Amino acid sequence: MGRRINFLDDHPFDRGRKVRFQFEKQEISGYDREPLAAALIASGVRVFGRSIKYHRPRGPHCMRAHCSSCLMQVDGMPNVRSCQTMCREGMSVERQGGWPGSQWDVYRTVDWMTPKTLEHHGMFTQSAVINRAAMRVVRSLSGLGMAADVATAGRLDAQVGFSRVKPDVVVIGAGVSGLAAALAVAESGFQVLVIEREGLPGGRLLDGSVQFTGDGAEILSGWDAWRRIRPAWDERPQIQLHAETTALAVFLEQHIQVLACGSSDCMEILPKRLIVCTGAYEQGLVYPGNDLPGIFGLRALDRLVFRYGVVPGEPMIIVGESDQALRLALMMAEQGVRLGGVVTQRCDGELVHRLMGRNIALYQGRKLVRAHGGRGIQRLELDSQEQLDCRALGIDAPSSPAYELLHQAGCDVTFRSESGFMLISDDEGRTRRPHVFAAGRCTGTMPLEEARLQGERAGLACVQSLKSARIQTRASSSR
Amino acid sequence: MGAKTLVCRCEDVSLLDLEEAYKEGFRDMESLKRYTGYATGFCQGKGCQAHVARFLSQKSGGDDKVTNPTRTRPLLHPTPVAMFARAGEPELIDVTRLEADTQKPQTGEDAE
Amino acid sequence: MKDRAELVIIGGGVVGLSLAYHLARLGMTDVAVLEQRFLCYGASGRNGGGVRQQWSTEDHIRLAKQSVKHFRRLAKETQYNIWFRQGGYLFLARDAETAAFLEKNAKLQNSYKIPTRVLPPSEAKRIVPDLNTDGIEVCAYNPTDGVLFPWPALWGMAKYVSKRGVEINTYTQVLGLDIQGGRINAVVTNKGRIATRRVVNAAGAWSSQIARMAGLELPNKPYRHEILVSEPLKPFLDPMVSDLKTGTYFSQTMRGEILGGISDPLEPSSMYTGSSFRFLARMCASMSKIMPRLAGVKVLRQWAGYYDETPDGQPVLGQVGEVDGFVQMNGFGGHGFMLAPAIGEITAKWLLRKSDHEVFCKYNLDRFSKGEIQKETFVIG
Repeated sequence: MGRRINFLDDHPFDRGRKVRFQFEKQEISGYDREPLAAALIASGVRVFGRSIKYHRPRGPHCMRAHCSSCLMQVDGMPNVRSCQTMCREGMSVERQGGWPGSQWDVYRTVDWMTPKTLEHHGMFTQSAVINRAAMRVVRSLSGLGMAADVATAGRLDAQVGFSRVKPDVVVIGAGVSGLAAALAVAESGFQVLVIEREGLPGGRLLDGSVQFTGDGAEILSGWDAWRRIRPAWDERPQIQLHAETTALAVFLEQHIQVLACGSSDCMEILPKRLIVCTGAYEQGLVYPGNDLPGIFGLRALDRLVFRYGVVPGEPMIIVGESDQALRLALMMAEQGVRLGGVVTQRCDGELVHRLMGRNIALYQGRKLVRAHGGRGIQRLELDSQEQLDCRALGIDAPSSPAYELLHQAGCDVTFRSESGFMLISDDEGRTRRPHVFAAGRCTGTMPLEEARLQGERAGLACVQSLKSARIQTRASSSR
Repeated sequence: MGAKTLVCRCEDVSLLDLEEAYKEGFRDMESLKRYTGYATGFCQGKGCQAHVARFLSQKSGGDDKVTNPTRTRPLLHPTPVAMFARAGEPELIDVTRLEADTQKPQTGEDAE
Repeated sequence: MKDRAELVIIGGGVVGLSLAYHLARLGMTDVAVLEQRFLCYGASGRNGGGVRQQWSTEDHIRLAKQSVKHFRRLAKETQYNIWFRQGGYLFLARDAETAAFLEKNAKLQNSYKIPTRVLPPSEAKRIVPDLNTDGIEVCAYNPTDGVLFPWPALWGMAKYVSKRGVEINTYTQVLGLDIQGGRINAVVTNKGRIATRRVVNAAGAWSSQIARMAGLELPNKPYRHEILVSEPLKPFLDPMVSDLKTGTYFSQTMRGEILGGISDPLEPSSMYTGSSFRFLARMCASMSKIMPRLAGVKVLRQWAGYYDETPDGQPVLGQVGEVDGFVQMNGFGGHGFMLAPAIGEITAKWLLRKSDHEVFCKYNLDRFSKGEIQKETFVIG
């Protein structure tokens, strides 16, 4: 099903060295700077695991550790996100769940036998004896993976360190808005610690199909825009970037406390100011069959195809209205990917014409209604009753702001159906909490250019806030 | 073959499950979460909060009726116990003077 | 909402609902239950679901034993699975004093036919193979203790009583109590007035606030207790494990998650339910020490609820002299769930004058002024 294609000419990522690892009974090859999920997809694996209740087949979907569709057992550790774990020489990978295995799972019959739903609240409550027997069965089926053994747990435990740091500012997220915020702070001379969960900063700029309108209305590819920003970033000693480090919690009761973890270290960060630029999640659409392997968010697909050079299946169909969706389809076609079509509400414009020029089937004005398939997507059904042959699907749906950290810390959010819950901040990025700022897509849907401006403004507002505090301190200490 | 419309993929919660829960009287984000199990799985709501909020918005008559997602709690991503076992005894934060529940009340039913 | 009821229960948690449930079974359904938010909002929706009979006072043991009998039948009675699994509770003692405490209590529990056994660490390791026995003096194990899932217990009881005419009013806040001539006359809420002659205060952490509306001062104080849950894993831990030195407890739920908490002697009384890094760090350190295999288990979420605590660790029950018709049913200090069915039953019978029970004298509010207290110290979390 999956295959590897060549990278684009200006591909800026290092794929690393070739490595070999064990996936169940097969030996698979991959690269040590590409995620396990990409290597497995390239080797033709579609079913990565089974869902918890109905044992429905699942495969990677978001490619950035936001969902639970790619969980596998890696080197004895259960529930590991294979989209975030890099391939390693000699790694041992197994699927979890299902009997006799994830590929052919007898327990899936529960899904077929309960076309509406499995009503777990009332089932087997007719008698106390039957209930207790049923509980034993349910317990034996519970859980996703098996807890790692004590030796594996011990190895992890032995590596872990703890540190406490106190920078002037911490910026959570090194996407477009986070980069801009951090630069604005660093340019004013303050120390800024940037935490980024991915291995590289850049956020949406790392997508292959994204375009960014830079200064002077120059239209750049995301990769070019990142290449332009990079030097400014690198030459700022005030910026300390911790990549592969995840912010886990924010506490604002007494002072600002940010809890973050890298692969083997736990950090308690006590900054003077906090800027949150966590971006947004691809939530996809709600329709029957939306959880089938082979269905990806648009950015997930972009990452898989253009960053890792892996095509998950053909014919490939793209569903979406945005420029990025159409451009992604076009770029894939130009790279030799067999497109089954583009389903879009868009009727004209340059991208539409270029797609037509390449004879890519355009299903304009149609909507997707259902995805069909057994262990992976086979067919896409539209509202026009057309059935399209499909082995991989990229869905462009409104992204939902990543509001959690500040919501957990007690900040307010507001809801809009078009996008989701979003953090509340003013034009300068200020939230209702003193010393806490938010910018970019975690505050609402916006194009890259707007996210960058917001980040810059939040950075400047943060600097202002630090400077006035400094003046106040000097004033009170000189009395 | 298994034509469920899933809203929460971590816990296999379908649109029908939400409808049934709503009929049973679970009509705010928190109660829907507890009854159906949405947002209680591995991703803790990243993939489903907005979908459920949209469902509730339609049922309750508008976005302004959906004031809050379910309460967000640490941790943003599942992290091994080992990571926190070396942090010693972090200081106790004085919470005696803080408000009990800093989040706005949920949908519709609230008189506040 | 109805404007009059024979009895109003303030608090839709496990205690209030258990009372409504037993009253309904005895035929009394002219009852209104008032819940300030949604069912499961308070401690009843936030706890770890532990149900144990290993206590140090006779009353607790008897009540817990009776409650276990009820829980075994509850799923069938209410048609709601409560996932009650009797996988046992294993307590760990790390010094001679605690060992003696466990031994003494085991004997007391045995006298009530509760099969608690005192075990050397090596035998405990057969029950929990991943247990780190370093520093453990002795263990106490009762196989009939267990864990349940609290939410459906509440929904089940609520549905059971609603079907029989009891009114469950959610999002209903009590604003005041109308007292005339030393007697309850009505309850004033944000949704209107309910005329009634009897009110039961089963408001958990909010009990003191409610009592003050009747001019009564309760010695109850709310304390935040935090709890965490892990990713779902295949079954590998049978009993609830609890280390008495630190008040740590954890078990594996029916969904496969490791769920538990730890005591914090420094935590002051408050109504705050936010989470803290302090809890996370202390709990994870303790879990890794007790069961090193847990170091690799991923924490998914942490939250908090209240223990409604009294100075002697015993609940406040019965009616106090000053206000006629105002009954207390609170102060369960973190173990309300596991005593609620039994307390609900005896309180229902008492309210209907079917039978009296010494707990209403023994655990009356006036014990504090009389100085007659017997402390229950076997508390965890």
